[in-house]
Amino acid sequence: MRLEKQVAIVTGGARGIGRKIAEVLASEGAKVFIVDLADPGGSLPQGMEFIEGDVRSPAAAEKIVTGVVDRCGRLDILVNNAGIVRDTLTLSMERSAWDEVIETNLGGAFNFTKPAARFMIARKRGRIINVSSIASRVGGKGQGNYAASKAGIEAFTRTVALELAPKGVTVNAVAPGLIETEMSERVRDMAGNALRRAIPARRYGSPEDVAAVVLFLALPGASYITAQTIVVDGGLSVAGPRPGA
Amino acid sequence: MTDQEIFGKVKECLIDALGVEDDEVGPEATLVGDLGAESIDFLDIIFRLEKVFDMKIPRGDLFPEDILLGEGNIEDGKLTEKGLAQVREKLSSLDISKLEKNPRVSQISNLFTVKMIADYMKSKVG
Repeated sequence: MRLEKQVAIVTGGARGIGRKIAEVLASEGAKVFIVDLADPGGSLPQGMEFIEGDVRSPAAAEKIVTGVVDRCGRLDILVNNAGIVRDTLTLSMERSAWDEVIETNLGGAFNFTKPAARFMIARKRGRIINVSSIASRVGGKGQGNYAASKAGIEAFTRTVALELAPKGVTVNAVAPGLIETEMSERVRDMAGNALRRAIPARRYGSPEDVAAVVLFLALPGASYITAQTIVVDGGLSVAGPRPGA
Repeated sequence: MTDQEIFGKVKECLIDALGVEDDEVGPEATLVGDLGAESIDFLDIIFRLEKVFDMKIPRGDLFPEDILLGEGNIEDGKLTEKGLAQVREKLSSLDISKLEKNPRVSQISNLFTVKMIADYMKSKVG
């Protein structure tokens, strides 16, 4: 149990990558609070607890973080994972779709980082891990809002990391590629096998692949890593054309 | 609360926030030059003071960083007359004669001493 007695918050933790991250942190002994819009239903694994909340609300984020610290006396790990897609070509994108994605994916990270960092610097320790995407660096038609939010997350990660480094708090990002989740289903269905074959690792990633990196960043051994983005994409984002391969 | 008690609590906050030794935190020590504080430390110090003294400290009250953001307060890396006037107003208890002679922005942080914080807290808790 490498995270025994530690307390974590995982936003967007009801499903997909966030759920797996929460499970992996809990399996290492952390008390994990998953924040999401709707109760995931069913019984949660030991060590996990659901808190209903909208990451777009600064007041809700402040209340949730303060509530967790009041109850547990500490907050060691924050995983800003909550994210949505509203894909459509830029020329047909409504401003509301832009705002919704930016406010959730990027604004949500800000809303939780601010109160969490306050408690973390007081204890001179903490891990903030932001879930980005390779969309931040690889163009994808119809993802102007999503790509911008994820590029923003990575820039935010670097900045906050520098600000908090003197206080023993590390801030990093994980950028998944094509991961088998509900959220990527549409993209995977549309592209079919061609997309999978374009991945050098010849498979889609799993939520476990991403959770393993988040766990690594949360462990004591990663205390000297900050302001970094670790790409978890089977090599997709650096793969060029593969003639005859 | 006596002056000594207030100073002791301020000292405790600074030692915790900045990781400095007890004997480094003399009244005249400057936060930046002598104790190595940087921007995040100013917030950390405020949070710790709020906790130890059980009170809210309005942002910009103790460390009036908003002076640096005010339009027309800075030109060519130096405080303008308007900027200096604001420093005089917001830090009225301090001797800013050195800053008036050398109004470089970097010199503002030298105004922030341990004594200045203790005096501020004294004015709040009486």
